[in-house]
Amino acid sequence: MNRTPAHVFRTTAAITLLALISACATQPPAPTEDRSIAEQVRAPAAEQARGLQVYPLRNPAVTELSEAALAAEQQGDLDQAALLLERALRIQPRDPELLQHMAEIRLERGEWEQAESFAARSFDVGPRVGEICQRNWRTMALARERLQRYDGAANARERLQSCQIEPPTRL
Amino acid sequence: MFDVVRHGQSSFSQQFGAWQRKASDQDHSGKPVIIAKGLLLHSTPAVPGTLSPVLRRLLIHTVLFLTGLSLGLGLPWVWWLDREAERRFAERQWTQDSRIYARPLELYVGRQLSLEDLILELERVGMRVGDPGRVGRFRQQGTRVDLHAPAFRFPDQDQAAQRLRIALAGGTIGSLEGPSGDSIALVRLPPAELGDLLPAGSDDRTLTRLADFPPLLVTGIQAVEDRQFRHHHGIDPRGLARAVWTNLCRGALVQGGSTITQQLVKNLFLSPDRSLIRKLNEAIMAISLERHFSKGEILEAYLNEVYLGQDGAQAIHGFGRASEYYFGLPVQALDVDQIALLIGMVRGASWYHPVRNPERARTRRDFVLGQFLDTGLIDTGQHDQLIARALDVATHRQRRQRPNAAFLELVARQLRRDYRDEDLRGTGLKIFTTLSPSAQHAAEQGLARGLNARERQANELQGAAILVEPSSGEIRALVGDREASRPGFNRALDARRSVGSVIKPFVYLLALAQPDRYTLVSPIIDGPIEVELPGQPTWQPRNYDDISHGEVALMDALANSYNQATVALGLEVGLPALYRLLGQLGIETGDEQHPSALLGAISLTPLQVAQLYQPLAAEGYSTPLRAITQVVDADNREIGRYPMRLRPIREEGALALLDYALRHAVTEGTAKGLPALLRDDPGVRGKTGTTNDRRDAWFVGYTRQWLGVVWTGRDDNAPAGVTGSATALPIWAEIANALPFSPQPSQWPESLEWFWIDWPQALLASEDCPNALAVPFIQGSHPTVLSDCFAPASTSSRSRGRRR
Repeated sequence: MNRTPAHVFRTTAAITLLALISACATQPPAPTEDRSIAEQVRAPAAEQARGLQVYPLRNPAVTELSEAALAAEQQGDLDQAALLLERALRIQPRDPELLQHMAEIRLERGEWEQAESFAARSFDVGPRVGEICQRNWRTMALARERLQRYDGAANARERLQSCQIEPPTRL
Repeated sequence: MFDVVRHGQSSFSQQFGAWQRKASDQDHSGKPVIIAKGLLLHSTPAVPGTLSPVLRRLLIHTVLFLTGLSLGLGLPWVWWLDREAERRFAERQWTQDSRIYARPLELYVGRQLSLEDLILELERVGMRVGDPGRVGRFRQQGTRVDLHAPAFRFPDQDQAAQRLRIALAGGTIGSLEGPSGDSIALVRLPPAELGDLLPAGSDDRTLTRLADFPPLLVTGIQAVEDRQFRHHHGIDPRGLARAVWTNLCRGALVQGGSTITQQLVKNLFLSPDRSLIRKLNEAIMAISLERHFSKGEILEAYLNEVYLGQDGAQAIHGFGRASEYYFGLPVQALDVDQIALLIGMVRGASWYHPVRNPERARTRRDFVLGQFLDTGLIDTGQHDQLIARALDVATHRQRRQRPNAAFLELVARQLRRDYRDEDLRGTGLKIFTTLSPSAQHAAEQGLARGLNARERQANELQGAAILVEPSSGEIRALVGDREASRPGFNRALDARRSVGSVIKPFVYLLALAQPDRYTLVSPIIDGPIEVELPGQPTWQPRNYDDISHGEVALMDALANSYNQATVALGLEVGLPALYRLLGQLGIETGDEQHPSALLGAISLTPLQVAQLYQPLAAEGYSTPLRAITQVVDADNREIGRYPMRLRPIREEGALALLDYALRHAVTEGTAKGLPALLRDDPGVRGKTGTTNDRRDAWFVGYTRQWLGVVWTGRDDNAPAGVTGSATALPIWAEIANALPFSPQPSQWPESLEWFWIDWPQALLASEDCPNALAVPFIQGSHPTVLSDCFAPASTSSRSRGRRR
């Protein structure tokens, strides 16, 4: 055994593991012009919705809840929209569309960190291409800008571009 | 507070009118009777002419004096009572319990649900076997369940009572239909009531507006208790006279002469003693209430105030709560015979108690049904049919059990942290929680049965179990005692016990986060190791089996839980890093840092362990464990929300590698007994933990659907003969076998690549090598030395592939 206690307590300086993005600080409410911030995410992605799109199979129950959430959102009742989306997420916790919708609701509420987290989770479990991928990264970019993390925002904008590429071939 | 006037009145007159028409033969045109004047003037007349003038004058003076005295004292007394009655009625504050609800069961086609779980959930909601034509009943035929769900006011939606037909097929809901065969996409059952927040000894009621009571209850109570209610001014001399006459004729107290208003005054303001003075006060205050408030307001108050029995130390007031307590139904859902039973109990809630004195209660109910018939509220056919019905009381609600004691304790703590005590008590809050009654049942049963089967002597061991939905952090079940309904020490929240090897994955996570130094196949030395400690004896950790295993792959060292290898690795990544990681995951540890922490010499509660593992089970997204989702007030206005919050953990690649290694522990390591114990293995990841001298046994296992933590040991922390794999793991399996599991799709992070690895030395191989195993690596960290059997054509890596 060629180990010696010499390594004891060697400090590993640069462990950034689990540097959680931040504590749950409360956010100031969104200014009025941010009411349509979710549209900034959706509209461009919808326009560019060409190439490969991946839409997961939807349970009708989830469809009903997500449509109700959209209706509540359009009436300006973001609380109700978030509540309905949480109900839907209890049924399909890994549905990228629901997670991204929740990210956009959080964006409208000015909860930048939560918006970024939900969009990142949506990307992780999602198709990683197509319209939803664009909305994922656009949300992250917007949220990071508001959090004044401009490098991160620039990364997200860059990453957004590769949502359009052909999907990887799977073995 | 409770708004009696506006909502009550219109419907009151409608409902009253209905009864009035039916009961017109009983009608009398009531004239105002000014009793107060009569009483006061009562002493003035004297009989002249028979007494001597001196005596007569004395008598007159005495009478005048007494009149003056009674006027002088009586008038202010009446004035004061009048004012008091008005003020106290206007200012009264109903106490109403704050209720805690389980998560409502969402029904939709495709939902995993066993027949047993469905029936258990229906029963917890308060429903019973019976004709589904009646609200609150269900009938099971084979795998079909026909049910009539009661109404419930969800914070986001008023849901009416509705009939549903559920057909189960292969452990899921195959079809879900409404009464006319129309298919329904999604419906919530009302949530099961778990308990309340009010301290013992207080009043409990479910406030109900007059308009929300069933019309038959509103008219029926008048038919039985006070037929002149519409007309009298607080007291009813004719009713009193009739009561006296009836009682004399029957030779027993069968009728009371008090009006509804008098009964209300007595209940609200006066002591229960039966003195003449109190009777007088009652009459004055009743007249006063009638002067100041409408009949609707008075009747509504009466229906919410009348005493209808005892639930443990809590008094049940009003028909709203009584209906929930005795029948498990909202008052609107009551049938005629149930209404009659409750109305009968007004005369004596314990004398006519349907469980303690069923025969008396039944006689009384039938008497009330007779009164309904007399007044035309029901017809003879209905009457005869109803009389034949047995008393139909929900017996499980009779005794105040606390089957969810441990979970309710967690809810109470969280509420006390976030709200002031006075805001919580008696204000009628509705607290919606995350508990799943069927999961809770599974956890309670699994723990109790598992401990019974595995202890050396009866009742030696104790335990705790927690079930969590990983991605939302919602706590589905929490058991803090092998006898779940026993109040007291809550081990799930309060037992701080050594965690043993359950800590090891976090040591390995720190290593895997440095892909340039460590991969799953990195060789680590499992050999004798000595750690010098300032001012303390040298620490020499040993393996569980006292054997050193030499050079082993990192993932095998974790799967087999080798102590010496783990200490060697932990000293490389650094003890402070481990403490920092635990802190970031929300676990408070002391200041003192000892390398034995690398082997789990850290005391944590089962709930803290669940919190630690949550991000592992949730693919790298950390969220605080939650027991409460929403708090609303008595009018369904939201006063608190606990939304889902996510925090991504940066090193998602390392987490995915760890996930792979914890699966490896189940297929090849210390938890390899698990798959055989499971009905079918949905790909559980897990870690066992056993502490020194077998004092504590842990098993933490998870899939994307469920995270479960089981701890067992002795309360006195003595050696208990338990091990993670032989005691805690089988209990975990027993619980898991009662839960719905399904294979969940999963994706590896973008940064991972798969390679075929040859053994025993980790070399790059190809698929057809005899010992080859597909192992994930963070991009660029895979071994580059080729195995002898490497065939270039058939290799090698795939990125972002689906999990096996």
